[in-house]
Amino acid sequence: MTASLFQGELVRLVMENPEDFAKAFSRWGRDSEFIRLLDNDPARLVSVKTAKEWFEKDLEKEALEEAFFIIQPLESDQSIGFVGLGGIAWNHGEAWVGIGLGEREYWGKGYGTDAMRVILRYAFTELNLHRVSLGVFGYNPRAIRSYEKAGFVHEGRIRKQLWRDGKHWDAIQMGVLRNEWLERVKGEVQ
Amino acid sequence: MSTLLFQGKLVRLGMDNPEELAKCFSRWRRDTEYYRLLDTDPARMFSVKAFQKDFEANLEKKPFDDYLFTIHTLKDDRLIGFIWLGGIDWNHGNGWVGIGLGEREYWGKGYGTDAMQVVLRYAFTELNLHRVSLNVFAYNPRAIHSYEKAGFQQEGRLRKLICRDGQRGDDIWMGILRDEWLKKQEA
Repeated sequence: MTASLFQGELVRLVMENPEDFAKAFSRWGRDSEFIRLLDNDPARLVSVKTAKEWFEKDLEKEALEEAFFIIQPLESDQSIGFVGLGGIAWNHGEAWVGIGLGEREYWGKGYGTDAMRVILRYAFTELNLHRVSLGVFGYNPRAIRSYEKAGFVHEGRIRKQLWRDGKHWDAIQMGVLRNEWLERVKGEVQ
Repeated sequence: MSTLLFQGKLVRLGMDNPEELAKCFSRWRRDTEYYRLLDTDPARMFSVKAFQKDFEANLEKKPFDDYLFTIHTLKDDRLIGFIWLGGIDWNHGNGWVGIGLGEREYWGKGYGTDAMQVVLRYAFTELNLHRVSLNVFAYNPRAIHSYEKAGFQQEGRLRKLICRDGQRGDDIWMGILRDEWLKKQEA
């Protein structure tokens, strides 16, 4: 059995200090490009206190319906982003994943892909899920490429769902099935 | 797809009225034999209000992870007992089941077995569980026989766990796997 389920090649997933993370999360909101890549809600700012309350409330829940983690690079204790499974439908064995790297200097260097691999391993070998789904915006090719590397396939698109800077963009649905993932990691994971 | 997932051949499962069930729960406790067949806790009495609060809190729980049903006869819709599916380990796909018929005149006539079959169908076809577990006391052969009819196998026993009327008895563990249940449906 894997001894460090929460560690990858470049990052580790933690949830030791929601307050630190809340500070980082609040600060990342200033970068509206980050927010627009992350979410389709109107960009807004969230106080440290509000963010902290969200995370703490989530951690207190007894039944596991979300699994949310802070991403740290192996070489430091800096919180560079987050990744989480949510909307877990246990009877169907399905969940959604969301990821964001708030620290720009870690973009495009494999940190996000590594964090995604760690959480997929968690989803398939610890939670024993059957599939993991995600949505990504047509204007985020870097993320799409990262998800493809982690094993997600394109399953559909919601045409012109988003309207940003006067232009309409598609939202893309991606997913990875347990069997596909197992085939991919054969030899790497028991 | 089955459209009457909560209905069997003799009974239907409901949760129409938590207050009614609370009244029954409180009254059924007068029957100590019933309670001693049901649970290892010392027999004691609870008010209708206490039970009702429990049931209502259960129904409001989010996420919903305890499935408690009342058992009603199909013939005259009488509330005769309860059945519960809970303690679900979703990542392993295991759930526990508990059943009790508080109305004695329905003992030994297939009502409990029928309710168990309805809950197993619910567990395997709606919740998509992998196994269902239960425990039963060795001094309750009627229940053991009913569980075997529903497809459960004896898997182990906790020796001399229970002490009642100066006698020590075993606690028997039973379980049914999804594949076994599916095979039984084809037969």
